[in-house]
Amino acid sequence: MVRRYTERVKPPRTVFLRWPFGHPLGEPFNLSQQRAVLAEAFKALYYIKQPGTIIDLPFKWRRQQYIDNGLDMLKNLKL
Amino acid sequence: MLTDLSRLKNRLVAKFATRYLFFKNVLTSRYQPDESKDIPWTPVRKHLNDSVLAVVTTAGVHHRGQRPFDMTDPNGDPSFRAIDLRRPVTDLMITHDYYDHSDADRDINIVFPVERLREFEREGILGKLADIHYGFMGHILGSCIETLVNNTAPEVAERLKAAGIDAVLLTPA
Repeated sequence: MVRRYTERVKPPRTVFLRWPFGHPLGEPFNLSQQRAVLAEAFKALYYIKQPGTIIDLPFKWRRQQYIDNGLDMLKNLKL
Repeated sequence: MLTDLSRLKNRLVAKFATRYLFFKNVLTSRYQPDESKDIPWTPVRKHLNDSVLAVVTTAGVHHRGQRPFDMTDPNGDPSFRAIDLRRPVTDLMITHDYYDHSDADRDINIVFPVERLREFEREGILGKLADIHYGFMGHILGSCIETLVNNTAPEVAERLKAAGIDAVLLTPA
């Protein structure tokens, strides 16, 4: 929720959104938004190879369409 | 020890910081977390649909009937609560004075996405959602940081390892 904190604490893999405090997965009952954030977190689990990498997600707080979360690609990923 | 009036002030500040970006920026500019010396790293060895996932949140989530996080210590509360998803989701509540959790009170999934993760499990995207997850309260300062770093966080890490968890989703508040 605060990028500077994330940069100092250094979690192994991070997806970052500039959304209000208390809303890391989005708005109440906005299922497609919540699923989209989770999908990006799960993709980052596999795509981030450099420890401490922070991926800034492009999602706007409101007026954002979430269509295909692209999670199917993870099933065939070579580990 | 914080009085009821001090706690009310904290909750009002939290409401402003949640609602107004300018206020959030002013508030957060005053705090500098300790910089971690290293980055914990484990390569991923299993596909997500073969993995057991647990959630660790700092949003102050716990079961009704568990001891709430201590909001009277200005340094916060570094303890954790085990969250058992074999109990109903409606059994969950939030104790945290340092962010406005009125939206999370309505839909816990915005800080602790249990129902979304159950959907992913049913859809075959996620192998298994663990039974036991962990909640912390993320406002931790002073001597409580040492307790968190040296005691409670390592204890949760050991419990997760002992339970065979393959991946952990960390959600802040």
